[in-house]
Amino acid sequence: MKIFHFLEVDLKKFNHSKSRKIKLMICGSILVISFTVIGYRTISLASVNRDNITNILNKKIESRAFNSNLRGNIYDRNNKILATTIDTLSLNINPQEVLNKHETIFKLLHIFPQLDKKDLLKKFNSNKKHINLLREISPWEHVRLLQTGIEGLKIQKRSKRIYPNNTLASHILGSTDIDGKGIAGVENKFNSKLKKGENVTLSIHSGIQHITRKLLLDQITRFEADGGAGIVMDAKNGQIYSTVSLPDYNANNYSKILNKTLFNKATKGIYELGSTLKLITAAIAFESKLINENEVFDVSKPLKVSSRIITDFHPLNYSINIPEVIVHSSNIGSAKIAEKFGPNIQLKYLKSLGLTNILSLEIPELGKPQVLMDKKVLTTMTISYGHGISITPMHLASVTATIVNNGLKVDPTLILDQKSKKIKQIISPETSMKMKSIMRLVVSNKHGTAKKADVSGYLVGGKTGTAEKIRPNGGYFKKKNIVAFTGAFPMNDPKFIITIMIDNPKGQTFSYGFRTAGWVVAPVVKKLVTRIAPILDVKPQLESSSKFSNNLLNYKIRGKNKGAKL
Amino acid sequence: MIRYPSFLIIFVILFLAISLYQIKHLITKKEIELAQIKANINGAKSDLNILKAELSYLKRPDRIEKIALSKLGLKEILPTDIWDLKDLINITDSLNDGEHK
Repeated sequence: MKIFHFLEVDLKKFNHSKSRKIKLMICGSILVISFTVIGYRTISLASVNRDNITNILNKKIESRAFNSNLRGNIYDRNNKILATTIDTLSLNINPQEVLNKHETIFKLLHIFPQLDKKDLLKKFNSNKKHINLLREISPWEHVRLLQTGIEGLKIQKRSKRIYPNNTLASHILGSTDIDGKGIAGVENKFNSKLKKGENVTLSIHSGIQHITRKLLLDQITRFEADGGAGIVMDAKNGQIYSTVSLPDYNANNYSKILNKTLFNKATKGIYELGSTLKLITAAIAFESKLINENEVFDVSKPLKVSSRIITDFHPLNYSINIPEVIVHSSNIGSAKIAEKFGPNIQLKYLKSLGLTNILSLEIPELGKPQVLMDKKVLTTMTISYGHGISITPMHLASVTATIVNNGLKVDPTLILDQKSKKIKQIISPETSMKMKSIMRLVVSNKHGTAKKADVSGYLVGGKTGTAEKIRPNGGYFKKKNIVAFTGAFPMNDPKFIITIMIDNPKGQTFSYGFRTAGWVVAPVVKKLVTRIAPILDVKPQLESSSKFSNNLLNYKIRGKNKGAKL
Repeated sequence: MIRYPSFLIIFVILFLAISLYQIKHLITKKEIELAQIKANINGAKSDLNILKAELSYLKRPDRIEKIALSKLGLKEILPTDIWDLKDLINITDSLNDGEHK
């Protein structure tokens, strides 16, 4: 029967062909399945198992390898390590595995004489399976242990955060806890970044940080002061080159340090910084245009306001203008200027200068300023010369930078190459120029209060402040002072800000019993500028050069009892 | 009866199986090498960190200052040491002009 006659195939042939096709299909299917299985296995070998193998091997090798996820380093602006993590070895023991306890103790004492024999014996007789003998051993001690061959010993590796420069910038760096988590300073603020192994580069300059610390510490010792703070900052972008708070501590011993030492006086402590704030009063006076530049204020008599009498430390018997109020540091003059522009304008500028808010610095230890805002005449007057307003030295440095930086707001930062925010104009460049001229006179003029800060060639300018220290329960200490200086150099084109504060200096024989800022802080500024200017590539220049005279105004300053004519 | 193509198929399958087994072992071996290299890199990184920390410790500004002062007899740079000569020439010229006038 020819069914498929059109194909001209007979049934017999067809049956034979069908059987071959079925066989071929079966073989083909087996091949397809085999290759699918092989393909799957190949993929699984190449992908899934790879991780498993790596994990298993990593665990096996872990005992010999070091921790792969080390906490990131903290560097200074010249890539010098300020904080790093290293792996250390700790010595542990399983007493159950020790066969001859006395012999083992003898061997251990030979390598580690600091261990106590009785204590070791007690630990070796305990039922525990894991006892820590020493938290850290040196590589040399490790080698000696291996050579001695003590049974039951377990050497464990653990990460340790170290600060190679000990006390340098300890308040800024902060610390980590036993689990490696940042608990203070930059360690805390950048914990998530450092934890991932990323590095942080600070704007701090190790050399300048050291010089600031050393000079400040010397002066604190000379004047038997309680402590102090020192800041060196870039006047244009707010990058902090050094920020010191004394007393300080060795960052490697953070957990053993007293709270008093941990306190950051530069960024957390708020103080009445006295006459340094007269700079703000003068800037407001110029900026508000409510006061004529040549207007004079009678400072010959003490000023009585409500129950308070405002007096001057260096009384003058004539009327003085704004530059003279600043150079002679007249409280009466400052109060009278403030009375003219009033509390609303004063508060407006205090707010725009950032003196009512916490700074946006990259550490958690920041102090909130305290400003009396009752808008009373007396408050306005006292704030004008720095009483009734408590700020941190870092706030003062920021304000000084804003005043000398052509009035453009300067926010301090601890991070190198920080992206700059939108810059606000707080005061006009004209006011800034007047202020820079006056600040230079405070240092260069023979009647200025900061003569001891003058360094030939570096054109230092600024303002001193001596304030009575606030009692914790209210009121003021009569014989305890906070002395401060804030300024910049070189004043014709300010590049760096210097703010120094010393807490409770005592009058000394060599200072004729004086403990004012002019005696205590100004000499520190002089030494500091002399030493850091060459490092910062600030070249000395003559005051008579055109570069200087074109950028600053020349105000005439009269001395004591010379009030006849301006 | 097993035919020639079947032999070929079996041979190919066996060849692939052995090859896969070899590949698996090769991968395992390479994984061990990789893990060891990684461990060595981490170890080297850690050693490097220790060396950097030691270098930083030795280059402490207070230590360098002590050495500079006591061993090398260095002194701080004063403005007069680095004064710009042009400035001094200018001031001398201006003083001379004043004298002539």
